[in-house]
Amino acid sequence: MSGPRLAHLMAHLTLVATTVFVLFPYAWMVVTSIKPVADVVSFPIIWWPARPTLDNYAAILADPRFLRSLFNSAVVAIAVTGLSLALSIPAAYGLTRLARRGSRPMLIGILASQFFPPMVFFVPFYIILQTVGLLNTLSGLVFAYLSVTLPICTWMIATSLRDIPVEIEEAARIDGCGDIAMIRRIILPIAAPGVVTAGIFAFVLSWQEYIFALLYTTSERAQTAPVLMFYLLGQHQIDYGRLMAAAVLLSIPIAVPFALIQRLYRSGLTDGGIKG
Amino acid sequence: MRALANNPTLRGYLFAAPLMVVLAAAVVLPALYNAVLAFWRYDAMRDNWRFVGAANFTALVDAPAFWNALSVTGIWVVGNVALQLALGLAVALALNTVTSFRALYSAVVMVPWVSSFVIVAVVFLWLYHPDLGVLNDVLTRLGLIDQPVAWLASPGLAQFSLILANTWKFFPLVAITLFTGLQAIPRELSEAATIDGAGRWQTLRYVIVPMLAPSIATAVLLSTIWAFNAFTLSIIMTGGGPLRATEVIGLYIYKVAFDSFDFGLAAAASMVLFVLILAVTLVYLRVADPARGRRG
Repeated sequence: MSGPRLAHLMAHLTLVATTVFVLFPYAWMVVTSIKPVADVVSFPIIWWPARPTLDNYAAILADPRFLRSLFNSAVVAIAVTGLSLALSIPAAYGLTRLARRGSRPMLIGILASQFFPPMVFFVPFYIILQTVGLLNTLSGLVFAYLSVTLPICTWMIATSLRDIPVEIEEAARIDGCGDIAMIRRIILPIAAPGVVTAGIFAFVLSWQEYIFALLYTTSERAQTAPVLMFYLLGQHQIDYGRLMAAAVLLSIPIAVPFALIQRLYRSGLTDGGIKG
Repeated sequence: MRALANNPTLRGYLFAAPLMVVLAAAVVLPALYNAVLAFWRYDAMRDNWRFVGAANFTALVDAPAFWNALSVTGIWVVGNVALQLALGLAVALALNTVTSFRALYSAVVMVPWVSSFVIVAVVFLWLYHPDLGVLNDVLTRLGLIDQPVAWLASPGLAQFSLILANTWKFFPLVAITLFTGLQAIPRELSEAATIDGAGRWQTLRYVIVPMLAPSIATAVLLSTIWAFNAFTLSIIMTGGGPLRATEVIGLYIYKVAFDSFDFGLAAAASMVLFVLILAVTLVYLRVADPARGRRG
C-alpha cells in the first residue's frame, strides 16, 4: 500500500476508534435505560436486553421531584437565555458599531471577566444571595448564571457584528433609521447565526450547570435537574436503570440545539470563549 | 439630549450600560468582595465576622489538606493536559488527513464537549462500577484482568479514572483548536518536506508541530484553566476520596466553605487559586502570544 493511502487508512481508523470512544458512554446509557432491573444488575453483562422496556422512563417521569426539577431547570435556562440576549445584543451593538473611543478596552474587560475561576464566587454569591433573600430561589440561580453567560454572549455577538459592512448601516442611517430600528431590522437578521449561537450557549450552560445549583438551592422548591441527579446517586440502593433514563431525558434538551448549531461552533464564533 | 443623539460614542455606552451594571453586580463586586473576605474570619456559631489580617493565608500554609489539594491539582492538571493534548493532536491530524466523512467525524468528536458534567459523572460512575460496570466486564472477557478492578476505590487508580473521564469531556476542544490550526498550514510545506526526503514522523516533528505551536499553546492554556476549575467529577464520583487522593483545589475550597463553613479560609484559598491561574495565563501570553505567532 502506498504512503498516502496508508495515511488515509490510519486516519480513518483513528477517527472510527475515537467515534467509538466518544459515543460508547452514551450508547451504554441508552441501553441501560431500557433494561429491566434484572438485566441491569447482571454480571457478566447483558449487552442487549431480551425484553427492552420503558419502565425506567415511566418510573422517573412519575416521580414528582424529577418533574419539578425539570421544570425548574427549564425556567432558569429560559430566563438566563432571555436576559443574556436582552443585555448583550444592545451592548455588543453599542460597543462595536456606535462607540469608537474606549470601546475596545471595555470589550476586552468583558471578555476577561470570564477568567475568574468559579470558586472565587462560591462564598460571595452565597452571602449576597442570603442577604437579599434569594438563596434557594430560581432568581438567585439566574443571577449567578448571568455572571458566566453575559461575557461570552456579548463576545460572540460582538464577533459576528464585526463582519457587517459599515455601508449597510450608513445607508440605513441616511434613510432615517434610528438605533433601535437598526438593531431590529439590520443587525439582528444579519448577525442571526451569532445571536442564535450565543442564545443556545446560554441555554445549554444554565440547563446543565451543577455547582452553583448545588450550593445555592437546598430544597426541592428550587432544585434543578442536575442537582436532583446528585441526590438520586446518594440513595442507598442506586437504581442505575432509572438513573440512566433520567440522564437520557436530561441530555435531550442539549442534544437538539447542539445538533442545530454544531456547524456554527466550528466556524470560529466561539474563539473568545473559555468556559466549557 | 441633542448631544446624546449626535454623539455615537455616548449612545454606544448607553446601550452597553445595562450590561455593565449587571456585570458589575454579578462579577466585579463579588470578586472584590471575595478578595476582602479573604482577610476576615467567619464564626458560624456566633454568625459574625472579624478582621484577621493575613491569618487565613498563614492557616492555609499550615494546613496539610491545602498542600494535599495543591499536589493533587498538580497531577490532575498535568495528567489532563497531557492526555487531552495527545488525544486531541491524534484526532486533529487524522481529521486533517481524511477527505471523506470529515464533517461527520468532527460533529461526533464535539459530542462530549457539550455533555453536561453531571451526565459525564453519572455515566462514568456506571461504566466504572466494580461489580456491574461494563469496563470490568470487557477487560475480563479480553483476559486482561482476572478479577474486577475497583476503579474509584484505590488512591492512584481513582485519580487516573477521573482524569480519563475528564479527558473524555474536554479533548474535543483541543482537537478542534488544533485542527483549525492545521488547516491554516499550507499543504505545500509538508509536501516540500516530503520531496526533500523527510519521513512522515520528521515532517510532523520539524514542519507541522512548529507551525502549529500557537494553536498548541492556546489549547494547552484552555485545557489548563479548565482542569484547574473542574472538580464536579471529583465531587460526584469520589467525593475527593479515597484518602483525599482526588481532592483537587476546587473541591477543597468547596468543602472548607460549605462543610466547615470557614468562609474566610475558602475565600483565601480561592484567591490563591485565582493568582495561580492568572500566573499561568500571563506566562502563556509571554511565551506564546498567539497573535505574534500568527504574524511571524
